[in-house]
Amino acid sequence: MPPLAALALPSLSPELLSFFATHGIVSVEDFLIRDIYQLPGLRAADSDKLRKAVTEVLAFLENGHASWRNGWDLFNNLEHNIRFLPTGYDSLDSLLQGGLREGTVTELVGASSCGKTQLCMQVSAHVAVRFGAMVAYIDTSNSFSSERLEQMLNDLLNSQREVEKTGAFMQALKNIVCYRAFDVYSMLILLQKLNTSIENHSQKTHSGRLRLIVVDSVSSVISPILGGNISQGHTLMMSIGQILKKLAVDNSIAVLTTNHTVTGESGNFKPALGESWKSVPHVRLLLRREIADGIYVASLTKHSSQACTKEAAFSIGRSGLQANVNHE
Amino acid sequence: MDSLTLPLPSSLRSKLLEAGFANTSAFQHLTPLQLARDANISHQEALAILKTVSWMNCADQYSKEEDILSSAKTAWDLLCYEKSRKKLRTCCSELDTVLGGGFKPKELTEICGVPGVGKTQLGMQLSINVQIPSEFGGLGGQAVYIDTEGSFMVERALQMAESMIDYLKYATSSCESTVGLGMSLNVDTFLSHIFYYRVYDCTEQLAVVNSLEEFLKEHREVRLIVIDSVTFHFRQDFQDWALRTRLLNGMAQKLMGLAQKHDVVVVLVNQVTTKTNGEIVPALGESWSHTCTNRLILSWSNGCRQVHIFKSPSLPAATASFAVSADGIRDVESSKRIKLCTISSP
Amino acid sequence: MASRLISAMGLDASIAHRFSARNILTAKDALCRTELELMELLDVPLDVVLLAISCISKKSCPPCHTILSVLKERMKNEPQLGHLPTLLGPLDQALCGGIPFGVITELVGPAGIGKTQFCLMLTVLAVMPDPFGGLNGSVIYFDTEQRFTSQRMVEIAQHKFPNILFTEAMIKQLAARVFVIVPTSVTELLDSLQKIQATIIEHHVKLLVIDSVASLTLSEQSVTRQELLGRQASALKFLAESFRIPVIVTNQARAMSTALSCQGVLHSVPVSDAHEGIDLQLRAALGTKWAHAVNIRLIFEYSEGRRWIRIGKSPVSAAVAIPFFLTATGLEHDENEIPSATEKDVMTIYGFGGL
Repeated sequence: MPPLAALALPSLSPELLSFFATHGIVSVEDFLIRDIYQLPGLRAADSDKLRKAVTEVLAFLENGHASWRNGWDLFNNLEHNIRFLPTGYDSLDSLLQGGLREGTVTELVGASSCGKTQLCMQVSAHVAVRFGAMVAYIDTSNSFSSERLEQMLNDLLNSQREVEKTGAFMQALKNIVCYRAFDVYSMLILLQKLNTSIENHSQKTHSGRLRLIVVDSVSSVISPILGGNISQGHTLMMSIGQILKKLAVDNSIAVLTTNHTVTGESGNFKPALGESWKSVPHVRLLLRREIADGIYVASLTKHSSQACTKEAAFSIGRSGLQANVNHE
Repeated sequence: MDSLTLPLPSSLRSKLLEAGFANTSAFQHLTPLQLARDANISHQEALAILKTVSWMNCADQYSKEEDILSSAKTAWDLLCYEKSRKKLRTCCSELDTVLGGGFKPKELTEICGVPGVGKTQLGMQLSINVQIPSEFGGLGGQAVYIDTEGSFMVERALQMAESMIDYLKYATSSCESTVGLGMSLNVDTFLSHIFYYRVYDCTEQLAVVNSLEEFLKEHREVRLIVIDSVTFHFRQDFQDWALRTRLLNGMAQKLMGLAQKHDVVVVLVNQVTTKTNGEIVPALGESWSHTCTNRLILSWSNGCRQVHIFKSPSLPAATASFAVSADGIRDVESSKRIKLCTISSP
Repeated sequence: MASRLISAMGLDASIAHRFSARNILTAKDALCRTELELMELLDVPLDVVLLAISCISKKSCPPCHTILSVLKERMKNEPQLGHLPTLLGPLDQALCGGIPFGVITELVGPAGIGKTQFCLMLTVLAVMPDPFGGLNGSVIYFDTEQRFTSQRMVEIAQHKFPNILFTEAMIKQLAARVFVIVPTSVTELLDSLQKIQATIIEHHVKLLVIDSVASLTLSEQSVTRQELLGRQASALKFLAESFRIPVIVTNQARAMSTALSCQGVLHSVPVSDAHEGIDLQLRAALGTKWAHAVNIRLIFEYSEGRRWIRIGKSPVSAAVAIPFFLTATGLEHDENEIPSATEKDVMTIYGFGGL
């Protein structure tokens, strides 16, 4: 619970606050559990003020929590507002029942160079072109390449006439905003600022609103602090997870994160961010690369609303993800 | 922001939570004395907390902007930058081609390979090439070479610098306007612009990386950092592998920040190791393989040295051959031709 | 400098006290911990930790030289820019003047090809007085296989320098400059490496030879072998660089089953296909980790009916192969054969006969 002073209620005058403070009442919690009318040294003239303060504090608490929503509201919201952002590659979209869902966190897990970053850039390009929506791309390992993005966009815009193409191309690139964060604290601050900005932004323009946030990768900033005897690394990881979820749910934004793999005890590969992080993403896609065949395979290992048995195969060419002919 | 995530020790964090300061917004407009009283902590502690909160706000590059959505760099801005930036060329045109023009500034590139394949030579060649003046299409910068294995050979750098200068002079000798430019080059300048650290253990290696920030601030011309190799000390000084992973990842993230901030090319040399099944793989394990932006694997194929682009966000997988001649890293077929040039030039 | 004390680094008294209270005493203790870990251990905010870390880093950071200053220094203090000439013309040329000071040079090859002869020859060159092109210093010779013979050494010296009249006293004096140590285990070798610093200083040791590094190590358990090799490499590098002396080690070549030819992530390492008709496939012993640790690898091999020295790994030069034959003077360059510039994998060795 916040300190009383932070509520900035009109009835809580500085004198009153300092009076409370002398009795060890600082936070709202202290205020609620103590019988404040029985405090020694209370003047009769103050009791009116006190009563007013109590009402205001209670009203604050009443309004403070998130508003209730019933199942019907949620369903309506799903029908009208929540959409799927296609990845631009059909077989993957059908695996995901239509693409990345707004309001959820999707995670890509995979070994080094198995197509995680390529997929992230592909989806960003597709969303920026197809929906004219904004995409926020948070890069923690210097792997965002706008030259690569250019190649992908050129292919996406191939069907358009030459005149429109240049404009559309530039607009799409301008829709993708990039941030870099190389340690966990700058990442936290960045997400926090993003949260405030989105709230202000969505009121202004609705057409080009932010619909996708890509974080590539979460594990780069977290793996240097995770483990050892220190629990704070774990706390920070969970805070990042929480903020990402909040961003997704509150603003109906699709969030795409990537996670590394490390060698586990048995010699098999496992995700770098372990069991506790597992609860953060709603959907988890495992990517692997079959080096011999040159194909990439995505398999669903976690999904909040469907069974996870299916796989999709693709290859990565000059223009991004492509269907793979050899694979069923 | 949640107070739990503040960069404060657990003792202070728990005191803040007890006093109800669960969110950093509660610190606004508080004086140290008020905070000390409200949270029941010492004046020093209160001051430290308020300093930390404001440090957090200043540490961040986007802090001054309220609306970071419209003020951020877009992919368009980055594309304009990427198109205009110069890349660090290798003297091997085949290699340059598959690298899309050379090594890219602001990125970490890892070079792995079997012993003797030419990793150190490539590193030395790059530290010469980074100094090619911008009039010749080079970066015109300086280099930092962090040597953990003692394999940097001064006499070899001298050779490479001499043949590079000969080549540049030869290239300019045909054109009146640039002759003077070629003549002004000298070996001493080239060698004095390679800053060399010899590192004897992993503590020193970490210390150097930590001090680079300050070094780069003083030497703004530095455009290349080579660590040769990143592996050597970390392969033997460590029993605790989880700790090794943390330290290496942390070091890599610091280097990325530096690369981004100071616009430098970072090249990390890695060794290879033989797995129990006889397979040869880059050292330092799976978690390290994620760290670098690009990974180049050097190997032998039929008596020829090859570079394979194993990992890159912007380049397709490709293979190029290169040769090591007396002059340095050169094209396979043209290594003789360049040699002729250097002899015929004055 | 890992063991530098934090208390001597001029940190703020209050934070220095916290370091010592948590038993974090050296630079290594502090830097081999993550910043977050230090924050919790020291119980101070992160910015204080970062400030302390940057101060500790600055103090324990090795000095920075420019290559020019290193070069100038060498020109001033060392003959041949820090090289021990082998007197094999093309080899010296390829190595910029000879075996370089300050690095580990490894000789690999099948038994009986002349590695020990090469070591003895270099020993002679190192002990010879200046006017005859020697280094006029002492030599420490770790002889693990008891192959060192003073007799052969004297013989090489006499044939190498036919113009000099070797008196009894002179031979005695030269022979006395060679310190032969016979270690029986790797641990013993590591121990001696720690202890010889004084000898190196007192007797002006100009060359360190270990013949051979493989025989001891291969008898160790394979689990600890890699670690021991790593420590050995570090110790040798440290001695080589601190005293600016060349270090020569010899290594065996072992027969390799082609089933192990590596078709892994690293593409193909060519082992057999391209070189059919070779009787025996050999590889350098001790594995890749050790191969990374040596700076220069000279491969001794039989090919086309001749003995060759091939530069397998070297940061100074392109790969060249030099033909040689064994004579009373040690190794001699075979003038009839032209050095070839074939590039081959550093691990593989070609050999027949001799074995």
